[in-house]
Amino acid sequence: MTDAIFVSKAGADRRRGLLDWLLILSLPLLMIAMELGVYAFEPRVLSLRNIVNVLNQSSYLVLFASAQMMVILTRGFDLSLGTTVSAISVASALVMTGLAAAGAPDFVLVAAGLIVGLGFGALVGLFNGFFVSWLGINPFVVTLGSLNICLGLATTISGGRPVFNVPDVFSLLFYNGVLIPGLSIPLMIAILVCLGLYFLLNHTVFGRSLYLIGNNPRAAYLAGLPSKRFLGLAYLACSLLAAFGALMLTARTGSGEPNLGGSLMLESIAAAVIGGVSLQGGVGGVGAVIMGTLFVTMLSNSMDLLEVGGYIQQILLGCVIIVAIFLDRLRLTRG
Amino acid sequence: MSSLDVHPAPSHRLYRAYARFGFLPTVLVILVVALALFVPRFLTVQNIFNVLRSSAYLVILSAGQMTVLIVGGFDLSVGAVVPLASVVSALVMVWAKGVAPDQTAIIVLLGVLAGIGSGLAVGLINGLSVAFLKVSPFIVTLGSLSIATGVALLLTNGIPVYGMPQAYVNGFGRGLWLQLPTAVYLAALIVALVWFIQNFTRMGRYLYAIGGNLQAATVSGVRTRTYLVLAYLFCSVLAAVSGLALTAQIGSGQAVISAQLTLESIAAAVIAGVSLKGGVGRVEMVTLAAFFLLILTDAMDLLKIDPRIQTIFLGCIVVLAVALDEVAKRRASVD
Repeated sequence: MTDAIFVSKAGADRRRGLLDWLLILSLPLLMIAMELGVYAFEPRVLSLRNIVNVLNQSSYLVLFASAQMMVILTRGFDLSLGTTVSAISVASALVMTGLAAAGAPDFVLVAAGLIVGLGFGALVGLFNGFFVSWLGINPFVVTLGSLNICLGLATTISGGRPVFNVPDVFSLLFYNGVLIPGLSIPLMIAILVCLGLYFLLNHTVFGRSLYLIGNNPRAAYLAGLPSKRFLGLAYLACSLLAAFGALMLTARTGSGEPNLGGSLMLESIAAAVIGGVSLQGGVGGVGAVIMGTLFVTMLSNSMDLLEVGGYIQQILLGCVIIVAIFLDRLRLTRG
Repeated sequence: MSSLDVHPAPSHRLYRAYARFGFLPTVLVILVVALALFVPRFLTVQNIFNVLRSSAYLVILSAGQMTVLIVGGFDLSVGAVVPLASVVSALVMVWAKGVAPDQTAIIVLLGVLAGIGSGLAVGLINGLSVAFLKVSPFIVTLGSLSIATGVALLLTNGIPVYGMPQAYVNGFGRGLWLQLPTAVYLAALIVALVWFIQNFTRMGRYLYAIGGNLQAATVSGVRTRTYLVLAYLFCSVLAAVSGLALTAQIGSGQAVISAQLTLESIAAAVIAGVSLKGGVGRVEMVTLAAFFLLILTDAMDLLKIDPRIQTIFLGCIVVLAVALDEVAKRRASVD
């Protein structure tokens, strides 16, 4: 099965014309053009400091977009991602501040935060995965339900207020500590996660199966793949990645925020789709997610530097999403 | 399933008829009786009045959402069309009042036309993209959601627009006909219209055919593209109408109206048994489901349940309703 996918890919390569290459390179070319265009008005955009800044900012979104990709590959999506992030941020912050107040040592604080955060993520993932794969319910409905549940939990357990005083050791470990000089911890984590995901998607049965499940669920079933289990696992992986991102964001803000995930659901889907992960399932990868994330982050960074207002940024992001899906459509029909 | 086999034929037929309507009417009746018995303030005139009025907006919105779901689509942008229509109509009315202060009829007419026009514009973008460029409705409407929200905020800077003619606010928005809010009549009229279209017109049959099997509909000579565009236009126009009615009640144009509108409209449709795969859905059931959701919300308000916990509850109900529906359908198909 793995071979079949590679063979068909190689076959398509041979027939690629100039237009196909332009379509494949459209996003990188667009990014370069955008940065050069902005440079003409605002030279700071290409300064080392700004580039490092963009990379650091991207390291959070890339996690959420990869999470989203895991389920989009199987023709699903996860609407609950944003509110899951909020709920995890609040829950882990509450546990850590509570333990810190009780005088627990640092390693206990961090371990408790991680366990609560990842455990909560696993619960959400199992909930989504159970209803989508075993009961065969549309992912839109299931994750719409868990969106509301997590939103309710995030605001209830925090009383709607931020949870301050997350222990410094947690922020040190996941945000502002220095392990390798010149490389921020979030960026390092993002790189490691991307490498891990690349391996998972390309060199394991589970990863390859996700593509087949998305491409042709019936064929996957007939091929004898444990489709239900893999589909459920995809949702679990999605929520775990989101949980990890939530913990990193909590470390950055230094507080548990009930509104932390506000726009993350839309941004994560947008980044994945702009990068070329197809909502029809079975198309996409870590590279696509990285490109999409960089594009979205660069766009908002450029507009911030040019002092474009937030409302216009929102309109432009909408336009970009629509244009990206047109390009995706062109790529698919030509492929 | 096995218990059904031993039943004689007539009760089997009864069960079939019951299954056709689903469990929603039963649940609704039980809910209303239980509330009437146990929650004293539920059966007061004021409370019924409130439930009817707030249901009216959701009924209008969900009827539109249902139309798009029937053709196998999605419309995430309704939640942004409501505030957009609100802002545009209010701005146009304020402008027209400045030009010709005495011509109330013309001022209101211009405002209403502009509001509906803004809905038409969004619907046209959605419909054309889905029908002619064949891109995923999820992404297109995600894009137009972002664009419409941005435009509404840009036009007003997020500040409410006051100064609409009093006749519009007091006569239409807060007015009563035969003791009932005008919005209730508007909703009833729209439901009747949609019901008529669904049951007695060629367009209604075609919409089901397109959602059931796009290919088959095209081959049978249905102009699928035209009808797809019409479905999206219809949905956006209904969202705009809902926005106009809300604006008249609030008395000002608002760029920020409940963010949950899109999700609520989809939840109502889904609880009513509208299939997200297309081809299935009836407006009378959607109306009942909208009532169901708002009666439930109202009951929780009366019981002084924290709105945050209500969110969790609603999330569970959406998932459970669909899970039950799915299980029932499987039984029916085994039968």
